[in-house]
Amino acid sequence: MTSFRKRTVQKPIRGTRTSPHTGQVITSSGNPSLDLILGGGLPIGSICLIEEDRFMTHAKVLVKYFLAEGLLSKQELFLGSLDDSPAEMLRRLPKPLTDEEIEQEQRQEQEQQADKNGLRIAFRYNDLPLVNSEQATAKIGHHFNLMEHMDAMMLSYGNAITWNDKKTNELTNPGWLLDPIESMPYSYAQAVGSKADSEQSPPDAAAPEAAAVASPEAAVVAFPEAAAVASPEAAAAAGETEATPMEQSDGQKTASNINNNNNNNMDNSTANNTTSTTGTTTTTTPTASPSTGKPQFFYNARYDRLLNYIQLQLNDPIFEPGANMQEKNLCRVCLTSLGSPLWYDDHFAEDLLKFLTILRGSVRSYTAVCFITMPMHLIAKYDSSLVPKIRQLVDYAIELESFAGSERETHPAFKEYSGLLHLHKMTAINTLAVHMPETTDLAFKLRRKKFVIEKLHLPPDLQESTEQTAKGADVLPMPNCGVNSNVSMDF
Amino acid sequence: MATSLLLACGLNEQKLPGFVHISEESNVDGSFLISCILGQRLRISNAGTLLVCLQNHYQHYFNAGMRLGYNSNIFLGKTLNVIDVLSDMARLGLTSKWLRSPDGLTLTEQLVKDIREQLEKNYPNRSSYTILIDNLSILINLGASKQQVQQFCLDLADLAKAHDNLTVITKLSNSDIHPLTDNNVAKLGNVRIQVLRLKSGVFRDVDGKLLIERVLDDEGSYSCEQTRKEVLYKVNDRNVKIYNPGEIGVKV
Repeated sequence: MTSFRKRTVQKPIRGTRTSPHTGQVITSSGNPSLDLILGGGLPIGSICLIEEDRFMTHAKVLVKYFLAEGLLSKQELFLGSLDDSPAEMLRRLPKPLTDEEIEQEQRQEQEQQADKNGLRIAFRYNDLPLVNSEQATAKIGHHFNLMEHMDAMMLSYGNAITWNDKKTNELTNPGWLLDPIESMPYSYAQAVGSKADSEQSPPDAAAPEAAAVASPEAAVVAFPEAAAVASPEAAAAAGETEATPMEQSDGQKTASNINNNNNNNMDNSTANNTTSTTGTTTTTTPTASPSTGKPQFFYNARYDRLLNYIQLQLNDPIFEPGANMQEKNLCRVCLTSLGSPLWYDDHFAEDLLKFLTILRGSVRSYTAVCFITMPMHLIAKYDSSLVPKIRQLVDYAIELESFAGSERETHPAFKEYSGLLHLHKMTAINTLAVHMPETTDLAFKLRRKKFVIEKLHLPPDLQESTEQTAKGADVLPMPNCGVNSNVSMDF
Repeated sequence: MATSLLLACGLNEQKLPGFVHISEESNVDGSFLISCILGQRLRISNAGTLLVCLQNHYQHYFNAGMRLGYNSNIFLGKTLNVIDVLSDMARLGLTSKWLRSPDGLTLTEQLVKDIREQLEKNYPNRSSYTILIDNLSILINLGASKQQVQQFCLDLADLAKAHDNLTVITKLSNSDIHPLTDNNVAKLGNVRIQVLRLKSGVFRDVDGKLLIERVLDDEGSYSCEQTRKEVLYKVNDRNVKIYNPGEIGVKV
């Protein structure tokens, strides 16, 4: 008997690589400078929390990067939000840069720096390389231009499911929450039916149906909770319609995903029920089962619904971690403004913690990464003890402190930056030690085309002036009883 | 790899105290302690271990263990048993028994029931048995009240008293937010390890501080006598280093 064993090398998932630091599989967050801080990217199975700035400007930019990266890497997306329109958010994703554009941009930046730094203090410093406080680019991921939106055709190639809980607000039946298929909400179950029909019917017949679903109105009405992006072939089959490719894909992808997700779980009665629908979402009968009287886990039913959708999406075999299959893929779960006032009720804190705990388990157990933004300044006002509890349930907690509207906006020390970035938590997932960045004194700036995270440094002229004032203060007599302060007395 | 850490905590012996509680402050990660203790228990032949995964799933402990130089998969199903609550919740969603309480049992009661079952099955064949619970704050997050968590720990402490060579090790995160629960649980045992952050800020060479409190229950001493030891720790890629206070500092 030979000891020879055939070596089975697992095919890496699209848009991922193994980190040389930790040996874990990581994926890009979409922003190269954020990737560098995280140690190359987000580890698979991790949850990254972005604590929103007061005006929610910069957190949204990072969300766009995260989604755009997933779309470009042909990964599956799940976008949930109560505050924003997820479909609109997907439409406004930044445009990826080509290699030539990246090179050109880097060259321009180098030239600009050379112009700025042409004059040195002494000629011997000319041999030293230019100090670039901007973090180096990551090896995975793409570069994006925030000034332009992603091409509609490019969007049509992506797979995305969105959730905004519009239709289900009217549902008072908690029973469906515990049984993912039987008690699927109206529009969701219809989507299953329409997809099943379109699969059974010939392509010619499926095309007009797809086109019908593709109209923006239909997408909003029929898929208020779970709109999705379809395959380009289906979009092409639908023919030229008024709808954008993004909208065309909405219904179809929902259907395909649900079909994939639920094939294992679907019982016969439900399957029959859903496939008996006529295919167009507007004419089918509701398939949601009546209340089964099962207890509801969350006080706020929205969490049940959202969690159900996420778990339906993640239960797809392509996200099974151990599966050795061709179509293995990564799911990017993105939840924006979770815990905003729209989520408030009497049991807000309990529900949010429960939700995050179960979400953590789900994301860890599948090939997925999660990106959450939260208005932590509002949550802190609601209950200050909630902040550390939430941070404990995520793997990365990053706070964006914007200067907008604060005194620091006009402060000369921070004139180069848009805000400060605080790293509150970094957890070691599937390893012992966590990667720590070179420095934790970080600031960000929102340039025209990109969002950059840099090491915080004071401008040279300010350093001199502070030194001068300090010297001046030493010389000047202090009238305020020995307190070293330049502030005028109140009287 | 982690011998010095366990030595400092007094957990490197074959026979451990009945109940050990690990308190973890907010913004501090003390999961390395569980990995170190798990490795030490698995290395002892015929010592059984039950790992209750609430904060991380089993794969995390396996990977962390590999970094520390042991392969927990070899022991899985033999001397190591796992109750992976997190994975169950992920697989079964809201229909999971941990979230639905099908028998009318609360989450903590269900957990005690499962632990008892595991204990009855495995304890008679093992020279010693260790139950590791990581971590109690997840139970609170999942809706268990403070009383329920306390009762859960009390039940476990009773188990430890009823069985020889049985050790229960619990961990509680955000101990500064749940001081009452933390203190009450710590009172059930003789050893308490507090994982604290550095008050002065972040330091590259040191991750945090361990405060080890041990009640002396030796013959002839009073139960109010206790020792306190403070050590600094640094979690590296493949080991955990321990420093005495003042041993390491900023070099000018």
